[in-house]
Amino acid sequence: MLAKRIQPMVSQARRLYVELMFQVMGRALQAVSEVDDAVKKETQALPAGFLFEMMVMPNGPRLIVEHTGLGRLHYHGASAPRPVDLSIQFKHIAHAFLVLSFQEKTAVAFANDRMLVDGDISYAVRMTRVLNRLESFILPKLIAERAVKEYPSNLHLPHKLISAVRIYLKVATNFVETVRA
Amino acid sequence: MTQKYYEFFCPVKVIAGKSALEHIPYELTGLAAKRPMIVTDKGVRAAGLLDPVIAACEESGLEIVTIYDDVPPDSSTTVVRDIAGIYRQEKCDSIIAVGGGSAIDTGKAVNILVSEGGDDIAKYSGAGVIKHPLKPFFVVPTTAGTGSEVTSVAVITDEAKGVKLPFTSSFLLPNAAIIDPRMTLTLPPHITAATAMDAMTHAVEAFTCMAKNPLSDAYATAAVKKVSRSLLSVMDNPKDVDGRLELAQASTMAGIAFSNSMVGLVHALGHATGAICHLPHGLCMSLYLPYVLEYNLETIREPLGDLLLSLEGPEVFSATPAARRAEASISALRKLRDQLHKRCQLPRTLKETGKVSEDQRNQIAEMALDDGAIMFNPKEVSLEDARAVLQRAWA
Ligand SMILES: [Fe+2]
Repeated sequence: MLAKRIQPMVSQARRLYVELMFQVMGRALQAVSEVDDAVKKETQALPAGFLFEMMVMPNGPRLIVEHTGLGRLHYHGASAPRPVDLSIQFKHIAHAFLVLSFQEKTAVAFANDRMLVDGDISYAVRMTRVLNRLESFILPKLIAERAVKEYPSNLHLPHKLISAVRIYLKVATNFVETVRA
Repeated sequence: MTQKYYEFFCPVKVIAGKSALEHIPYELTGLAAKRPMIVTDKGVRAAGLLDPVIAACEESGLEIVTIYDDVPPDSSTTVVRDIAGIYRQEKCDSIIAVGGGSAIDTGKAVNILVSEGGDDIAKYSGAGVIKHPLKPFFVVPTTAGTGSEVTSVAVITDEAKGVKLPFTSSFLLPNAAIIDPRMTLTLPPHITAATAMDAMTHAVEAFTCMAKNPLSDAYATAAVKKVSRSLLSVMDNPKDVDGRLELAQASTMAGIAFSNSMVGLVHALGHATGAICHLPHGLCMSLYLPYVLEYNLETIREPLGDLLLSLEGPEVFSATPAARRAEASISALRKLRDQLHKRCQLPRTLKETGKVSEDQRNQIAEMALDDGAIMFNPKEVSLEDARAVLQRAWA
């Protein structure tokens, strides 16, 4: 009986969390593409105007970023200006929650059939690496190790701290800008 | 609560063994198919491999309506459209693909067009585009390696755009795979070796990569055991019917394993090398396998050690201390490669291929990093890592 009443709250909380994480990630993707060379190297290979989406099936939360050129990513929020080029789709909000709460690594989620790729698989491989890099930047090492296949060895603490601060700052300003706008 | 989750799917009826081809008419009739078309290539026809298929059907009063025998090694959208045209013109109602990877992929793509309609196969490219079951489709593999008879993928080249179009749908899976040892009896030694090593690699990668699961593990270990036991004896005695059947079954089992649990870095490097240096897929697999296992070693120590039982049998397994088994598995594979090199000069290093220049290695590394298979490799691979593996594989 209690379960019946609690369930909607749990699923609403889960949905809110996923929506919030998508926003944080969208902004962080934009920020990290401006400060991190390893990410830039990956994103530079994407065509300019390339739209990347992560979403929850069938019509759940989504995050859209665009490669505007020279490796820079631009966060579009939850709506795309035109049909997307690459979409990573979680089969269920519960699976998105597992990944975005860092209980299941992105690569493991792919391996476990939690999500689908619609679009060029080589771009999906690239974006997975970008997401891994992002996760290891914005999370404390302990959690990041759980979220990515391998914690990058070239991510030393001072560098990480400096970069993370810059990313957090950028995320924060972006949040403020959005609120103002 | 366990964090493990997996999916496993293989609805293909496997018809295997002596006189398997003679089951085709019965199986077709069971699906109400009366007018089959054969899709194959010139090599298969020249080797006389169609004769037993046609005879098996005719003896049961089932007429093969038409035969398309001009599938190229890299099938294209034009070829697919042409074959679909013939299928419609001849009012066929089913497809039998006889051949290796290319003929099978072509058969899958033709089936999409003749079932879904239209002339533009590119329209159906991607994952999950096809929503309905297709026409009755049978596959008779003539190589023992690709496992395409049990995979839900087809790759067709779009010549005009110069891109490879992938098609994925469980509806691409054939209704039945017919494994008859007569089909692989005349495979030349170097193709026998390379394709068997492709099957071996499918099994080893399925067993050691990220998406491994208990069901695919069972298929993978059984496939490794069959290849280990039969490959060299078939190399020494090509007419060994039982050995040939073992290899053909191993290929199908490895196909079932990897189509459910994916492959890893060996395939990523192999796909890139195939595209850049035009080396056969199986050869690349055999070449890279031990070097990639060495690279992955610390992340796959346990499963790789377990494989020693399938590779070398119970005596060697129990005589090897648990801590040394993973290395012993790699040695077993190296030993097998040395034997194959002795028998048919199957290259073990990039240098031995004589077809790869040192500066192509960078290109291979970069291209491998974009390959979908790299996503399932148990260890994260950077450009430097890929270069290092290629360096080790050089000589
Ligand atoms: Fe393969």
